[in-house]
Amino acid sequence: MAGDGRDERAWVRGAQAGSASDLEALFRAHWPRAYRAAYLVVHDAAGAEDVAQEAFLAAVRALDRFDARRPFGPWLHRIVVNRAIDWARARALRREVGAEEAVAAAPAPAGADVAARPSEDVLGALASLTPDHRAVIVLRYLLEYSPGEISRILELPRGTVNSRLRRGLDSLQGLVDEEEAE
Amino acid sequence: MSDQRVRGALLAVQVPDELEAQRRAWRVVSAAHAGREPLPRRSRGLRPLLALAVLAAVVAAALSPPGRAVGDWIRDRVASEEDAEPALVRLPAPGMLLVTAERGPWLVRRDGSKRFLGDYDGASFSPQGRFVVATAGRRVVALEPDGDPRWALARPEPVADARWAPSPGFRVAYREGGTLRVVGGDGTGDRLLAGNVAPVPPAWLPRDGRTVLAYAREDGVARVVDVESGEELLRTPPARQIRELFWTPDGFLAVLTARELRVHGRNGRLLRLSRAAQGNELLGAVAFPGGRVVYAEFDPEAGATKLVRASCFAPDPCPLIGPAAVFRGAGHLQDLSLSPDGRWLLTGWPEADQLLFLRLPGIQKVVAVDDVRREFDPGRPARDSFPRLAGWCCS
Repeated sequence: MAGDGRDERAWVRGAQAGSASDLEALFRAHWPRAYRAAYLVVHDAAGAEDVAQEAFLAAVRALDRFDARRPFGPWLHRIVVNRAIDWARARALRREVGAEEAVAAAPAPAGADVAARPSEDVLGALASLTPDHRAVIVLRYLLEYSPGEISRILELPRGTVNSRLRRGLDSLQGLVDEEEAE
Repeated sequence: MSDQRVRGALLAVQVPDELEAQRRAWRVVSAAHAGREPLPRRSRGLRPLLALAVLAAVVAAALSPPGRAVGDWIRDRVASEEDAEPALVRLPAPGMLLVTAERGPWLVRRDGSKRFLGDYDGASFSPQGRFVVATAGRRVVALEPDGDPRWALARPEPVADARWAPSPGFRVAYREGGTLRVVGGDGTGDRLLAGNVAPVPPAWLPRDGRTVLAYAREDGVARVVDVESGEELLRTPPARQIRELFWTPDGFLAVLTARELRVHGRNGRLLRLSRAAQGNELLGAVAFPGGRVVYAEFDPEAGATKLVRASCFAPDPCPLIGPAAVFRGAGHLQDLSLSPDGRWLLTGWPEADQLLFLRLPGIQKVVAVDDVRREFDPGRPARDSFPRLAGWCCS
């Protein structure tokens, strides 16, 4: 969970001045959501790790230019989500038939069915969307940005954001309906 | 459905390996942070002035030995695991790479250090890589490798495609509008060489001490002239849509069009012809020592490009080996460059935002470099045009 605004500003200033402990506080506060956001867009643990790690590296490289009066989260999330979209697109182009077959043929681990079901269902619903649509859902519902903020983060028209949100919700709707019926 | 239910569903997803990923990432991020120059705390009144100083410090930190050490550490970790690089942190072969991005050209050295050369449209190396000749609007500029201008030439019309003659580099050819001009390697003696020239980069015969230049005319004829005497040495039959002119190592002129690769003998006669399959498009080509040519052929139906090793072009004695596809990738593969030692073939892959280093012979290994747009246009969205490879020069 991210610290409050005052903590965060102090961590940013400390990290800019070279404090490893302040950078670590910033990293610990933001890594879980950054990694989860990346994973929900790319659907690949190694890819999500690369994306989130590269986003933090980019943030470190640009730290000195960052205005510590502004919140750190939106700045980082912009990098994470845009890189995750790029990663997912590049992955789609590189996907190899052999790898897909290997995944399809792999047996599910014993005893994992019940516990894994909600994750699989949500991931399955998200997988029916493009990376760009997934990014909008993640920004809105996981990272809790408003549609206006999302349109600035992704540099998209507001109407496009709204239509992607509607499409994403349609995909997730069936999933939640099923849960309610149970 | 409430926002909270959707949020709950996203939070319920089990993210694999979360803590281990966090530990691994922290090691990398903290190492990068330790390698940067810390920014001293400052008073608000000095902010505008210090912004410039901070920018300089960032550049200095990126080029500093500690910064490079961190880069090496990351490179070793990734390369040992999967032969893919998160960034262009090292060239696999000796020499320097020239990459032209939207903002301008960058010079990349073997150790991965990069230097932005300035706001220019195009650039190419001098024969020994001691200079870069660049164009910007109506100016031709010779640059030192650190970006300092050595000389500049202004013309009334927009200029493009400046190319430096082989060693000792006494001439530079460039296009101005529909004309071809030549200027001395010291920026003096600028003069008109030809008119009615097509928008194709001219190509010097790669022979030390010679100033033989090939260029394409608007009518599709490729012409070869001795720049000093003005004598025409060769003229090819017209071809449609010439994209590229280059020379094979044994001194034959190759003409690449959207559909064909033609190699001409010394009298202009057609020696070899390779034609793209129906509907396909040739994107680029490169000549190898020994007379072979590899070209990139894009198949729009499959949405893929294959690299094809063409038949041997030397007239004799030449092994009778037919063309063969040696590599294939989804999307476009553009700008083929050979490393100075001839062991690596480099190509750009815009759709994957990657550079691909292909180990020769026979593509023994592929090293991919990710995130190329951001690498050469840092701080901008990774949706701009893909950087172009302008040369790999000089061991």
